[in-house]
Amino acid sequence: MLKLAIYGKGGIGKSTVTSNLAAAFARLGRKVIQIGCDPKADSTINLLGGDPVIPVMNFLREHDREPERIGEIAKTGFGGVLCIETGGPTPGLGCAGRGIITTFSLLADLRLFETYKPDIVLYDVLGDVVCGGFAAPIREGYASQVLIVTSGEKMALYAANNINSAVHNFEDRGYASVRGIVLNRRSVDREEEKVRAFADANNLPIVADIPRSDDIIRYEDMGKTVVEGDPELDVSKRFLALAQLLLDEENTSA
Amino acid sequence: MKQTARIISIHAADTSGVCSMLYELGGMVVVHDASGCNSTYSTHDEPRWYRQDSMIYISALTEADAILGNDEKLIGDVVSAAKDLSPRFIALCGAPVPLLAGTDFPAIAAEVESRTGIPAFGLHTSGMRSYLAGASEALKAVVSRFCTDALPRTDAPSANIIGATPLDFSINGTVESMIDWLNRSGFELVSCMAMGSTLDDIRRASAAHVNLVVSSCGLATAELLLERFGTPWVAGVPVGKKFPAVLASALKTAAKTGECALPCAERDASSPVKKLAIPGETIFSGSLAAAIESDLGAPCRVLCPLEAEDRLLAPGDIRIFDEDAAAEAFAASSVVIADPMYAPVCPPDVPFHRLPHEAFSGRCYRKESLNLIDRPLPWRF
Repeated sequence: MLKLAIYGKGGIGKSTVTSNLAAAFARLGRKVIQIGCDPKADSTINLLGGDPVIPVMNFLREHDREPERIGEIAKTGFGGVLCIETGGPTPGLGCAGRGIITTFSLLADLRLFETYKPDIVLYDVLGDVVCGGFAAPIREGYASQVLIVTSGEKMALYAANNINSAVHNFEDRGYASVRGIVLNRRSVDREEEKVRAFADANNLPIVADIPRSDDIIRYEDMGKTVVEGDPELDVSKRFLALAQLLLDEENTSA
Repeated sequence: MKQTARIISIHAADTSGVCSMLYELGGMVVVHDASGCNSTYSTHDEPRWYRQDSMIYISALTEADAILGNDEKLIGDVVSAAKDLSPRFIALCGAPVPLLAGTDFPAIAAEVESRTGIPAFGLHTSGMRSYLAGASEALKAVVSRFCTDALPRTDAPSANIIGATPLDFSINGTVESMIDWLNRSGFELVSCMAMGSTLDDIRRASAAHVNLVVSSCGLATAELLLERFGTPWVAGVPVGKKFPAVLASALKTAAKTGECALPCAERDASSPVKKLAIPGETIFSGSLAAAIESDLGAPCRVLCPLEAEDRLLAPGDIRIFDEDAAAEAFAASSVVIADPMYAPVCPPDVPFHRLPHEAFSGRCYRKESLNLIDRPLPWRF
């Protein structure tokens, strides 16, 4: 089972990258779970035709009980991808990080992985590693590899550096390691050069280079990933190539 | 009110279960909690505190450390103390504040172990579950770590007792009586987990032919030993006059066939006759119910206020999640045998017999605690 956590600055396109990667794995015949770890709970919406799944935190709030079946807090989207969202507390109250840990604990109690038996699990994590809750997806037993999404913008690279440092701080704990950088282009001047400088300085590979694409936006307006909408587009092929690269490595290491 | 204890007590929390289970094993237990709470785990819930040394510590977690995620302070303190004390192992466990902060104890334990070379494990205590959950996880962690070699079985029949802590059995000779009974029943004791045995005794657990599980906190460890070494287990406590013979027979059969057995749940409490009600730890209460039925002919049912697997309950036993449910069940009973702290919710017209349970009332009624092992029961109905 390949478990990946996707981190990056808020608004950088983590959910777009994650859901397209999920769709790409699905198109390659793999059984995928995507878990959105963001109070906004919008990670999986483009795998679900725009019809969102109830987030786990919302379920707890509305029902005043824990879910008893995976089906109560999950929906199947494009390519059979099982979509789950942690959601978050009432805005301005509670603790979002704790919400992620609680959700993971509930999913373990519901024996999600044992019953669903996925090939791929993707964790789409809010922004930076701001507290223990947002490091939960990279704890032992969860993701073993981290992909950092960044553009060439200064603040995106700043966040990428923070994330990389945070993951390094956990080296003695058996946490995940950073697999590489996903360059999500924003039409920044000398964008590739800036991101490559960061990657080289940290000894990280750029595993995918996603061009800025109106097609992504066009299909998202239809509630789809571009990989679902048109797998023959160049941008779709970049996601499919990233998925294939990660699968090939998984097969080699296995 | 749902899930509320307005009048009666609540059971000791998971952290107390960890401290109690690991008390005699030569390890260092560190509870990551505010200073001052040690008395809860180690004095009120621990009869051995004043006569037997143990390495149970509180980290003295501060608000700033919790907010800042200052794990390094905890790790540094534990490493420093471990270097002075040279414990056999280090157990790190949490409390409500680390629960909310999402402290990753298994990961911190890995860091402590890499810096000290001493086996360390993190336990998922939160103060939100009962002592059984903490005691269960703690014992399983120790056995998982230290019972790794499949030793040859002893020549003579032998057994481990699994799940003994003062929280269920107090310090009144009950555990010693169980060991005597086990010997009289033809079994040598390999280890008693975890009262009266050392960590080295427990390391030899795989040499036993069978395991006797005396509290539901021992079940996970018994399952581990079954999986790892094929050692069958039998669940029950030899209380009363006739039930011990049933249990001894089950032990002999299990040792011979390798099949596990639950004599404590081989009852039927589903008849509509008004019954004795026995709230408490499920294996003990189930055994007592079986003993009362066979010795005194009185129908019984167990009221289960704690975590327990369904298989530990007999038909007609019921789970009670709060004091309203306890009161309702008592009112529907002919007699109640329970910890004295249940008395205020027992209707005055229902006879109430006091049977202190340290995990429920701490040291309050310790002098009244009863040793019921392999002897006539003290009640007549």
